[in-house]
Amino acid sequence: MMPAEVRQAWRADQDSVLAAHTAVSAGLGFLVTLIWGLTGAGTFWPAWVWFGLAIPLAVNFSWWYSRQFEERRRWLALHLALTGVASLALCLIWAMGSGGSFWPGIPIVCLLGLVAVHLLLSENWGRLRTGQEKVLTERVDELTRSRLGTLEAQAAQLRQVERDLHDGAQSRLVALSMHLARAEAMLDDQPEAKKLVSEAKAEAGEAIVELRDLARGIAPPVLADRGLAEAAKSLGTRNSGGVTVESSLTRRPPPIVETGAYFVIAESLTNANKHAPGAPVTVTLGDGDGQLNLVIRDEGPGGADPKGNGLTGLRHRIEALDGRIGINSPKGEGTTIRVDLPCE
Amino acid sequence: MRVVIVEDQALLREGIVALLRENGVEVVGQAEDAPGLIRLVNGHKPDMAIVDVRLPPTFTDEGIKAAIEVREEHPGLGILILSQYVEPVYTSELLAGGGGGIGYLLKERVADIPAFLDAINRVAEGGTALDREVVAELVQGRKQDSSLDELTPKESEVLSLMAEGKTNAGIAEALVVTSGAVEKHISAIFSKLNLPTGGADHRRVLAVLQYLQFSD
Repeated sequence: MMPAEVRQAWRADQDSVLAAHTAVSAGLGFLVTLIWGLTGAGTFWPAWVWFGLAIPLAVNFSWWYSRQFEERRRWLALHLALTGVASLALCLIWAMGSGGSFWPGIPIVCLLGLVAVHLLLSENWGRLRTGQEKVLTERVDELTRSRLGTLEAQAAQLRQVERDLHDGAQSRLVALSMHLARAEAMLDDQPEAKKLVSEAKAEAGEAIVELRDLARGIAPPVLADRGLAEAAKSLGTRNSGGVTVESSLTRRPPPIVETGAYFVIAESLTNANKHAPGAPVTVTLGDGDGQLNLVIRDEGPGGADPKGNGLTGLRHRIEALDGRIGINSPKGEGTTIRVDLPCE
Repeated sequence: MRVVIVEDQALLREGIVALLRENGVEVVGQAEDAPGLIRLVNGHKPDMAIVDVRLPPTFTDEGIKAAIEVREEHPGLGILILSQYVEPVYTSELLAGGGGGIGYLLKERVADIPAFLDAINRVAEGGTALDREVVAELVQGRKQDSSLDELTPKESEVLSLMAEGKTNAGIAEALVVTSGAVEKHISAIFSKLNLPTGGADHRRVLAVLQYLQFSD
């Protein structure tokens, strides 16, 4: 596509070319007519010269005419104009010749037939393509919706699993280890049995720790209980430089987005602690236009490699949620990570 | 000592009650939700309440909220929170009151009966009992602290045990050293971290916690 000003200049050129062509043709036509007059005005032969001059002019005009149409209709207009020129030429040849039966009729009908076919094709092709586009758009909408639905369901299930781990299996293990502890206290006179019970208690204790780590990896309870801002503060307690959380969230994002955002913040803070130890970090949370916006900024040395492992992992996590990430990390000016996650 | 217990899981609650009774602790009431806690405290005036974090109806953080609320009405009441997990935000909220008699332990610590009873006693007497995981979180947040780097490994251990709320005797027992040695470590820690010395055990613990949580 040409820029507008170039297109306009080009159209002006077309106009002047047509005008010059017309002027030259008219001049030549007048000249031969003059010569014919001066040489005794016999048979009116200049009509054939006129005819010869008119054909290229008509073709030129057809081209110019077709350019006046929108791009989609341009070729059809050119086709129609040329058909008109050819038909007129045939009629003129017939009129200037011997006359007799109107032989140009059949070719003209054929030419018009071709125009009709062109018209039909171009119209239906357009409709055909719009139809395909519509079907595809609907399909994409449907897939986007169902994908979000699936992710939502998955997130809800994972939170349920986390809850069940804490309140189900883990609680039973706690009760078990407590009973074992009581049994242990009653077995002072049987050292071997006491040792076995003590080992069983230790095993139960390890199982509890494993379950807790597992549950925490799914989603920390504070996220489900209090939301993203509090969970970000909780993450921030592990950063040596101090983390400030500023939130202007107006409502809680869907669980899948919330959990995704949580792990984005967690990874960003881990990165900051690793590459900018001791630097203050600010986490800003906001929403609007159906999006959750995160900004994680540290006052560290900057110069983060966008292709490094930490940032690549982050990028994949965000892409899975159909979100966008921007990383700005000039040397000596800290690192800013901006993330937008769609919520609808 | 008179204790009430709020825990929605009957198996666990009854286990804890049995354990406490076997060890001479008087359990005067049991409940399974937050309104139950307030009712029990108003009705029985116990020395302390043992409260689960997750309670009906939403199973989120009702226990923490109810505990903070009931403490405002009954400042002398000791609160021991039992939880399936360590959450720094909750620790801060519990400690923000500044008063004594606060504990936050992982549930599985009940299996170490002597330590659990020790924690209950400390909280009932207005002291502190923080899970070592809670303390580890607090210390991790201050890892880059240059003053903490100056501590010897032994002093770091003493600091952590102190932050858990252990008394000098308790620390001496845990590290298998004399209480004189513990006192020496503690005064070294306080001078390195620039903390005000003196005061009772519990005030000292609060100074350490204050330092770990907030100081710059």
